[in-house]
Amino acid sequence: MKRFIDPCCEKCNHSKETPCKDFVECCTNGPICHEDASCAAKRKAIIDRVALNEHFVIF
Amino acid sequence: MYEKHLMICGATGCLSSGSAKVHQALVEELAKHKLEKKCRLVMTGCPGFCEVGPIIVIYPDEVFYCRLKPQDIPELVEKHLLGGEIVERLLYKGPDVDAPARFYDTIPFYRKQKFNVLRNSGIIDPENIDEYIMRGGYRALSRALKMEPMEIIDEVKRSGLRGRGGAGFPTGLKWEFTYKAVGDKKYVVCNADEGDPGAFMDRSILEGDPHAVLEGMLIAARAIGSDEGYIYCRAEYPLAIKRLKTAIAQAEEYGFVGENILGYGFNFKFNIKEGAGAFVCGEETALLASIEGKRGMPRPRPPFPATSGLWGKPTVINNVETYANIPLILREGGLEEFVKIGTEGSKGTKVFALAGKIRNTGLCEVPMGITLREIIFDIGGGIKGGREFKAVQAGGPSGGCIPAEKLDLPVDYDSLTQAGAIMGSGGLVVMDDRTCMVDLARYFLSFTQKESCGKCIPCREGTKRMLEILERITEGLGKPDDLDRLQELASTIKDSALCGLGQTCPNPVLSTIRYFRHEYEEHINEKFCRSGVCKSLFDYFIDPELCNGCTRCARICPVGAISGERKETHVIDPEICTRCGSCVERCRQEAIKVTRVRREADVNH
Repeated sequence: MKRFIDPCCEKCNHSKETPCKDFVECCTNGPICHEDASCAAKRKAIIDRVALNEHFVIF
Repeated sequence: MYEKHLMICGATGCLSSGSAKVHQALVEELAKHKLEKKCRLVMTGCPGFCEVGPIIVIYPDEVFYCRLKPQDIPELVEKHLLGGEIVERLLYKGPDVDAPARFYDTIPFYRKQKFNVLRNSGIIDPENIDEYIMRGGYRALSRALKMEPMEIIDEVKRSGLRGRGGAGFPTGLKWEFTYKAVGDKKYVVCNADEGDPGAFMDRSILEGDPHAVLEGMLIAARAIGSDEGYIYCRAEYPLAIKRLKTAIAQAEEYGFVGENILGYGFNFKFNIKEGAGAFVCGEETALLASIEGKRGMPRPRPPFPATSGLWGKPTVINNVETYANIPLILREGGLEEFVKIGTEGSKGTKVFALAGKIRNTGLCEVPMGITLREIIFDIGGGIKGGREFKAVQAGGPSGGCIPAEKLDLPVDYDSLTQAGAIMGSGGLVVMDDRTCMVDLARYFLSFTQKESCGKCIPCREGTKRMLEILERITEGLGKPDDLDRLQELASTIKDSALCGLGQTCPNPVLSTIRYFRHEYEEHINEKFCRSGVCKSLFDYFIDPELCNGCTRCARICPVGAISGERKETHVIDPEICTRCGSCVERCRQEAIKVTRVRREADVNH
């Protein structure tokens, strides 16, 4: 998962063809539809890569 | 994980002052030291302080380096990135700071600013949608998709947001009219045809945070029931257009644009229309005609675009900055935060482009209600070269000049209108004591006259006649009744021109007559331009008390009009002098003065 649009695992199926209503929330606070620490870590890794400081992300 | 983020301004202003070469030098230097995996280099949007570009801000240290050249980069990398030491000589220095300043909170230019619309400029990579999402992006759209159209419109109405493009019409009300208009198809249009001389607010927003504008348009579309939008952007903004195209492609991929957006059954597609740069196409009906492939000319209103706009369909048209405010208002808790800023009749912030004789040229975003003095002196750093402030032209060619005695005027829609100017789109052109206000009025009127589309007689003929009078006055051929005639023509044009641009184009003339009537009278009655601008109406002379005979003026004079021996007082021959002003700029003693023309009658007397 290099970008938020990439699925974190097979449980995520958001795409423009199969949209998920929680997608935006899921990017920074996800996963929403299932619980998985490694999926959450993948999202955090995307954020950590570009976040300039601790105030960067607006939840 | 990167240890450092190097955010280099990649907006048009810094690109013009060489940021692409600085960027390239950084790429090479990072590679040389094998720092590519430790340091992220990003070309960002505009951080605002164009005067000191090119700019790099290094995070997480939050160090602001400015006026960079490619040859500074080895030292920057060696000392800061490898050695952990701040390179003091590259920090901001100026008369407004005691010591080199490190970041936003210590640089006076930023102290009184409030970043709403420019919240992401310089902070994110404008070509990375993920970063926009991290900064709260598309949350307002997600929320709006769960709301009824009138709920969205009510929030925009309650925010008090007024159009940032010129007239300041309440945005929510405009959306409501369009929502209630009957039509099988409705459009959302973004006016990015920024045409005022010296204005670049919209360009910077598009270059620095394009998704904010897209999100604002998507929310507008949801509110009024539209499935298609146009962004009308002048072709001379290639970087803004490139970043818009990238942003639209990314938003499509992420499911924010296209069919069944985020699963709510809402469809929307964007089109970009590149304009050819005609000033009149900033007028909404002319802009719509141009999108339709017709000649860009205004038409009478009503019907207003809200009921009959693009291809005769109900259309919401707002400018870039207005749309960029929408996500802030519609996000959870955003409305409450938004209304805390500004004045009773003008909520939120306003972005201004500072240009002219001001020390800190650039872009600033301030809360509505701040005074002109704070913008020009505290943020803008005052007048270049320590000269005296004379006036500021607010609102571009449709606006008016505001003199020094009005410097404590709060900046909001109503106060500026009362003072004879307008908020306009946010251009502020600052003038010092060397600016001739008659010539200034002539300049702005020559602009609007050339840009007049010619459709209505008051604007086409009226501006031409007014310009002729102003040209005569600046050439020393003014007549005693010229001021009455100018005011009469201005009044007729204001009352009868077809569009807003025509109706407001006499404003620079009227406001300069209102506040600087004595300068007009001096030009007309005494044939004298005390500012030393209207070449037929002054001579230069060298004050012997001040001249130290340094010969700088004589050496720079392109026509050899200045004579004198070294260390002796120099003399200007007015018969040879072309009044180009080069000597004035060159003289360190300020010994070259403006004087009345010695006419034959004066000599004989």
